[in-house]
Amino acid sequence: MPESANPATGAGRASRLRRLRVGVASHVRAFVRTPLNVALLVVLPVVVVEGYGTAMSAFPQLPHLAGGTMAETGRVNGAIYAAAFLAGILGLFQSISAVQADERLRICGYDRAELFASRLASVVLGSTLVAGVSTAALWRSVELAAPTAAFGALTLAALIYGLVGMLVGAVLPRALEGSLVLVFLVDLDDFLSSGLLDVESPVLKLLPLHYPHDLFQSATFEGSVATGDALLGAAYLGGVFLLALGVYVRVTGEGGVLA
Amino acid sequence: MSRPRTGRARTAFEMGLREYARTPVLLALLVFLPAYFVGVLVFLLPESSVPVEVAGRGTVAVPSSELYGILLVPLVSGLVGGVAGLFLMLAARSADGRLVVAGYRPVELLVARVGLLAVAGAVAAVVSLGVLSVEVVPERLGWFALASVLAGVTYGLVGTLAGLVLSRLAGVYLLLFAPMVDVFFFQNPMVSDPHWLAAYLPGHFATEVAVDAGLSASVALEPLGWAVAYLATVGVVTAVAYYRTMRIG
Repeated sequence: MPESANPATGAGRASRLRRLRVGVASHVRAFVRTPLNVALLVVLPVVVVEGYGTAMSAFPQLPHLAGGTMAETGRVNGAIYAAAFLAGILGLFQSISAVQADERLRICGYDRAELFASRLASVVLGSTLVAGVSTAALWRSVELAAPTAAFGALTLAALIYGLVGMLVGAVLPRALEGSLVLVFLVDLDDFLSSGLLDVESPVLKLLPLHYPHDLFQSATFEGSVATGDALLGAAYLGGVFLLALGVYVRVTGEGGVLA
Repeated sequence: MSRPRTGRARTAFEMGLREYARTPVLLALLVFLPAYFVGVLVFLLPESSVPVEVAGRGTVAVPSSELYGILLVPLVSGLVGGVAGLFLMLAARSADGRLVVAGYRPVELLVARVGLLAVAGAVAAVVSLGVLSVEVVPERLGWFALASVLAGVTYGLVGTLAGLVLSRLAGVYLLLFAPMVDVFFFQNPMVSDPHWLAAYLPGHFATEVAVDAGLSASVALEPLGWAVAYLATVGVVTAVAYYRTMRIG
């Protein structure tokens, strides 16, 4: 067996990095092999941002909403929704296609950390991309008070949902069932975190988009970074990461099925 | 001697139902997810009143929980119907091609697939309605249920069409986004002057009937007729696309 295929024979750091790079490159190649997927990644955020903005411009001004006009609020919500759901679906399909293949790679000598890192790197790449596209789509029509902070908040939302998607895909590695779970999760979360409804409940703080949404709104309309929200959002991301890692380790040791 | 067409369509439909029944996770999700979605939202939605346009009643103030509760049922039916239609077609496309070679007519298979979508849409609507009824009971229950199933089957056909022309990933993108924006934003009765695009979206007429039946005692037959006509149009477009796929396959 060549050294590069078996870390147990003493492959060094450079070899691990090379394998990681090869893994990420192959995931990216698999994705871009369908040009429609790439086109949708660029087009959909624009459609979602403009669709939300157009639909909400006809709404009466809601008294509990701070910030911009209803159209601007719609576009802001559209941007965060697009970043979260695109990253979530990417994470889900990445995980579904990975679980059994990675199980076989592990038998061939790859360790779990390398395999997880390669999947995670692909999801991070995809999440950063959709956050960037969503920020750009929003910036076309809404003046962003703090663009870098807004991009950071969208990246946080996308990363959290990318990991949630991976988690759903690992627990329920079936496309239809996993998609249904993610559809309802993203819609419920977006619906309640958007601020469109005057809801006061501690339950909202448990939703994945709660902190990224607050961060994004303050960055977009006020140009400020709410440190408390940023820290809590980062902690939430860390929690989801540990959960996704734990589940991944379990499934790659059990033939791709959560025991 | 060949079996009559209705018999073959029924067999294909029963096989599809058996496949659903053989997937308990899917069945559980079809029941649990709508119940969870509607249950959580109806529990959390505020009681504050919002002004809405209702047929036969003009502009009236209704509690937010009632308005969004009424919108949630066709929305959930659309989401479940759309995603089910997409995956049903992705899973069945190659098998259906072989069944056509074996003597099935595309129309028999299409009838069976649409029947399955109607079942999925009806399950989602009934479960959502059951949970909603704990807090909000629509004024005209039967019409409301019919409108919700119509929304589910219409989006189911949109999903089927997406399954014929798009990849799995692209189809999920579409079916995740479209019903939410359509039913929740474009068809929201809080809007007194809707965008022109709203009238052309799949959820328009079915949601109009659902809102009428949910919030008023009178249900106009005209939007119901348009909802059926819209369904028939999407059905024809889907049938043409399906025939082309079978011919090529």
